[in-house]
Amino acid sequence: MASRFWTQGGSDSEEEESDYEGESDSGLGAGEGSRAQTNRYLKGTNASDSEDSDGQRRVVRSARDKRLDEMAATLDQIRNAININDWVSLQESFDKINKQLEKVARVIEGDRPPNLYIKALVMLEDSLAEALANKEAKKKMSSSNAKALNSMKQKLKKNNKQFEDYITKYREKPESEEEDEEDKEEEEEEEGSEFEEDLTRIAKPDDEEEEEGEEEGEGTEGGWEKKTSKKDRLMDKQFMKDPSEITWDIVDKKFKEILAVRGRKGTGRIEQVEQLTFLTKVAKTPAQKLEILFSVISAQFDINPSLSGHMPINVWKKCVDNMLLVLDILEQNPNILVDDSVEPEEKESQKGADFKGTIRVWGNLVSFVERLDTEFFKSLQCIDPHTNEYVKRHRDEPMFLVLAQNVQGYLERLGDFKGASRVALRRVELVYYKPQEVYDAMRKLAEQRADAEERDDGEAGDEGVVFEEEIRGPPPFVAVPEVVPRVPFFPESSRDFMDSLISFIYEHGDERTKARTMLCDIYHHSIFDQFAVARDLLLMSHLQDGVQHMDRSTQILFNRAMAQLGLCAFRAGLVPESFGCLSELYTGGRVKELLAQGVSQSRYHEKTPEQEKLERRNQMPFHMHINLELLEAVHLISAMLLEVPNMAVNSPDSRRRVISKTFRRLLEVNERQTFTGPPENVRDHVMAAARALTHGDFRRCADLVSSLGTWKLLRDQESVLAVVEAKIKDEALRTFLLTYAGSYESLSLDRLAAMFELDGPHMHAVVSKMMVNEELQASWDQPTGCIVFHNVEPSRLQALAFQLTDKLGILAESNERAYEAKTGGGLDGLPPRRRGDAQDYGGGGGGGKWQDGSFASTAGKSGRSGYSGGGRYGGGGGGGGGFSRDRQASRVGGGGGGGYQGGRYQDAYGRSPYQTATRGSQLETSARMVNLSRSARA
Amino acid sequence: MALLQNFDLTSRIATHLDRHLVFPLLEFLQERQQYPDDEILKAKIELLSETNMVDYAGDIHKSLYHTEEVPKEMLERRAEVVMRLRSLEDAAAPLISFLQNAALVQELRADKQYNLMMLNDRYQIGPDQIEALYQYAKFQFECGNYSGAADYLYQYRTLCTNSDRSLSALWGKLAAEILMQNWDTALEELNRLKEIIDSKNFASPLGQLQSRIWLMHWSLFIFFNHENGRNGIIDLFFQDRYLNAIQTNAHHLLRYVATAVIVNKRRRNMLKELVKVIQQEQCSFKDPITEFLECLYINYDFDGAQKKLRECEIVIMNDPFLGKRVEDGAFSSVPLWEEFLENARLFIFETYGRIHQRIHIGMLAEKLLMDEDEAKRWIMNLVRSSKLDAKIDLASSSLIMTPNHLNVYEQIIENAKNLSMRTSVLAKSVLEFSQPVGTR
Repeated sequence: MASRFWTQGGSDSEEEESDYEGESDSGLGAGEGSRAQTNRYLKGTNASDSEDSDGQRRVVRSARDKRLDEMAATLDQIRNAININDWVSLQESFDKINKQLEKVARVIEGDRPPNLYIKALVMLEDSLAEALANKEAKKKMSSSNAKALNSMKQKLKKNNKQFEDYITKYREKPESEEEDEEDKEEEEEEEGSEFEEDLTRIAKPDDEEEEEGEEEGEGTEGGWEKKTSKKDRLMDKQFMKDPSEITWDIVDKKFKEILAVRGRKGTGRIEQVEQLTFLTKVAKTPAQKLEILFSVISAQFDINPSLSGHMPINVWKKCVDNMLLVLDILEQNPNILVDDSVEPEEKESQKGADFKGTIRVWGNLVSFVERLDTEFFKSLQCIDPHTNEYVKRHRDEPMFLVLAQNVQGYLERLGDFKGASRVALRRVELVYYKPQEVYDAMRKLAEQRADAEERDDGEAGDEGVVFEEEIRGPPPFVAVPEVVPRVPFFPESSRDFMDSLISFIYEHGDERTKARTMLCDIYHHSIFDQFAVARDLLLMSHLQDGVQHMDRSTQILFNRAMAQLGLCAFRAGLVPESFGCLSELYTGGRVKELLAQGVSQSRYHEKTPEQEKLERRNQMPFHMHINLELLEAVHLISAMLLEVPNMAVNSPDSRRRVISKTFRRLLEVNERQTFTGPPENVRDHVMAAARALTHGDFRRCADLVSSLGTWKLLRDQESVLAVVEAKIKDEALRTFLLTYAGSYESLSLDRLAAMFELDGPHMHAVVSKMMVNEELQASWDQPTGCIVFHNVEPSRLQALAFQLTDKLGILAESNERAYEAKTGGGLDGLPPRRRGDAQDYGGGGGGGKWQDGSFASTAGKSGRSGYSGGGRYGGGGGGGGGFSRDRQASRVGGGGGGGYQGGRYQDAYGRSPYQTATRGSQLETSARMVNLSRSARA
Repeated sequence: MALLQNFDLTSRIATHLDRHLVFPLLEFLQERQQYPDDEILKAKIELLSETNMVDYAGDIHKSLYHTEEVPKEMLERRAEVVMRLRSLEDAAAPLISFLQNAALVQELRADKQYNLMMLNDRYQIGPDQIEALYQYAKFQFECGNYSGAADYLYQYRTLCTNSDRSLSALWGKLAAEILMQNWDTALEELNRLKEIIDSKNFASPLGQLQSRIWLMHWSLFIFFNHENGRNGIIDLFFQDRYLNAIQTNAHHLLRYVATAVIVNKRRRNMLKELVKVIQQEQCSFKDPITEFLECLYINYDFDGAQKKLRECEIVIMNDPFLGKRVEDGAFSSVPLWEEFLENARLFIFETYGRIHQRIHIGMLAEKLLMDEDEAKRWIMNLVRSSKLDAKIDLASSSLIMTPNHLNVYEQIIENAKNLSMRTSVLAKSVLEFSQPVGTR
């Protein structure tokens, strides 16, 4: 019976069988005998289990039948279509049957396609060959039909390649296949149904591997696939018959074999994990078990090959369990050393548990932990944050923290402080963004888990398979009690948690780890409203200087820390500090990108797919986001508080001192509107508030600001708003005084205080400060409590004289700049143009370099002429205001004489005079090219 | 009393001092009677227990518990100390006898290697003896024999080749000089030490920082006693590295920096920087003196400044470094406080006057902690010595400031002033540039 079964079971079963015989040194007969043994064994030990499988069979069977019926229906359709030679409908049917195959594969064990399918394929192939052979008929076909025929030919060829084996087998003996199908499946189900679910993605035998030389490997692979899919049977065949017969060598050999096919095309990844997991159970020595476990873990990581996707969650969990198991073993056998620098000797892991010396096993705990964390992070990136799944996924966090904690502890005991600090960093990165409430919730969850046996029922479905497998399998040879604690330890406050880890990392970590930790620390302090501490940390570490050279994710972390610091400063009422932290984030209009909280589309340049991918990979998961609305509100309000009084200062040079360009631009846009509607979003609100503030109307301003919905995200909303209101009052007072100073001779303190609802002393302080800083030309008259303004309105002559000196200053400056340009500073710096497009001025550096290059090749004289050309341009351009770069180019092309570009051109060509018109037209193109390349650089 | 103890920095300073240096601080506290006597005596015994000044500790014990008995462990310790002293003395004896002979010392030269060779060859004094000298000196210091320790350490330094040892010898020497109140020598030692700390590439930046902080704390003894110390402290503490050290780990030193700046008339330019630092650190250290400056220069809160000024008095009187008394007959006064008050008044008055055009004198007097007549006299003096552009209007008893606004024309001249300079520089450089071209 058994042999009969095997010949039918798989396409290459004969080969397998013989292979297997050769390897395991046991004859077929022995195999048969031992199989019976297992069955007994199974019955004896796991009676309940087999009942389970019975129940399951019924369910599965009905689903399977349904699928198969569907497939049969499709097959009929195909048959009909072939008869009437209708290739269009054939094509449809073919697609349909392929889809059905997928479904079927999900229900039944997918290691071979159902015979119905193969039959369909064979039919299709035959009729296709027929149709192609019949050239006459082909010509008669309608165009759509012919098209369908051709595409069918392609598809089928591609598709059939996968099933070539089956097809040939089928062709050999179609009948027996069909006959035996049923009873074979019956058989299979008895034992195999447990595993079917898990084995959906079994690899198809790979054609390419069947080439000579590979045959051996292919054969064994197939064998192992079989074995795992019907594990019980194979187990006894190989190992279960008698534990004493299994030697280290057998296990090692198998292990090596499995490893050899790793990563090859067509190797079932899940398969491998299963196989290796099984091997861990039969491993003879702890060291060997460890060795295999490491491979299990790497194989588990291999399951998801793409960079953007994430590891399946249940695999992730198993992986964590495996890691814990590894730690258990290591904990128990302190003489085993995990190392990835030295290649261990061949027989190293043969040494048993009683071996006293050190045993080296290849592996790297730290990178495994890091990889696990990365996978966790990725899964959170991918899962839709609005689903229950996302929330559920978060519950796994303590699991990882346990592992990290244990690994860190282990490494510390071992003295590998560098690795330990890397692991510690991972722990820090999981906690740093959590406010105390969230931290508490996590702590409670972890404690609950400890009580409730760690696994909640909702997930039992997924894990059931794993569980039963464990129960079913033989008791592992190397029993590993759970030594390592499975419950994470969390201190009461997250600050303590952070502190302990951080000080450890500072002591032992490398540069990058330290920098990241520092940023996390800053972030954490900011959340907890400790602005001074966070600021000192930032300043002392000099992180801002070096952050440009760090990797992307560290830069993002830096941006996040800065944003959080800004929010913290704002909550503490430190407006200038807050603005300082946030303004840089908002200058480019790319906040989302900088904080990695979504992709912002840029109007000006398209991103390459690689860039986009990279960006996507760095995205923050939703729960770590900093609320952008709040951030924008804080940024704009602090900009408003600084900028509005600054705009009111009407000193001659106020134009140069712009505090927030972004704010000014927004305000300008807002003021240009013909009709202003009621404010809708954050920006509108703040703009309306700013306009109220310019008129000194602090009440309206405060109302508008406090009506923002986003404040409810703040923990102590009231106190923050109170501070903001006080600040608004101050700034309204300042704006009022600066704006209307000219209209008053004197103002009484009391009256002013009543106007702005401020108390006297505070007001006195504010006004005094303005006087001292010479913003306000006034002084106090103490006995009467008045501000006396000494506004000296300059006479016309005086005003003109001021203007004159200003102009002279500008002239001198432009001369200096021209000189600088001449000596290699960059000709673009000519002031008229600079003023015109100061906004997008940025190509100066590049242009300067270009100029340098040309200078090197020219003699001084021509350099001078070039310069004079530039001067001429400056004169012409001054009248027209700003010249955009494109206009320059066209100007040169059109005029041809004495343009700026002309001068430059002359530079580049040394002394050769530029006179002819033909040269001029050549010049045009070259000049434009330069321009283009430069604007690209800019 | 509680307020007083709030301002007391002794415990914070003491952690950065040598045991022996803490002693004067405790003496001062005892004198001011801020704390119960018993507590201070206990602290003293605690302090002495680690040193070898056993007899002194015994005395204190007697006065503390009013007994004639000295506890047994103290006696035992005494015997041990004496024994140890003997053995160290023996070990260092050859070298000491050599050093005590002036004629022989003459033979030593500036070259260390030569000296070592010579000692080894002619007097059989090797590295062991030199090491013993160091131990002996240390022991002497521990016993309170500072002058002896200072001498030995000085000589040790001429012979020693180990730079770490030499450094600790220098620290020991500095402590000894401070305790002997030889301020001039101490200052020299201080500068020497500072040079070593700044130049030496310390193994860890942390160690360097710690050394700097120690140095600053020790220097307080010198600077507030040496005649030129007022400038010295500003010079030292305002160096970037030292200022950073203060901001990192020794915020309480701001009190002394602030006081020094206020008192020192010639270093007013430092005030701006100081105020910046104080503002930055206001959350980590608060003290009436720094708060006074904060009120005056950050918040422009004159009432607050006045309040703080009163508190400053308490602080200065009770600070071991600042509140040094000068006995003048039956009169004892704290000279520093008087200077401080005078300067603080000037500060207030200056700022106040700058933003007012008319001030009631009574009000001003109140702000300056004076009575009205005194204030009038004080202001009169200022006006007379033409430090102040103002007139007193006795009828309304107010002070009228002369506004000093920059004339428009002056402003214009100011604006245009540097134009000619800039142009001439430009012209010159253009000429320079074109010259080689012309000759080519």
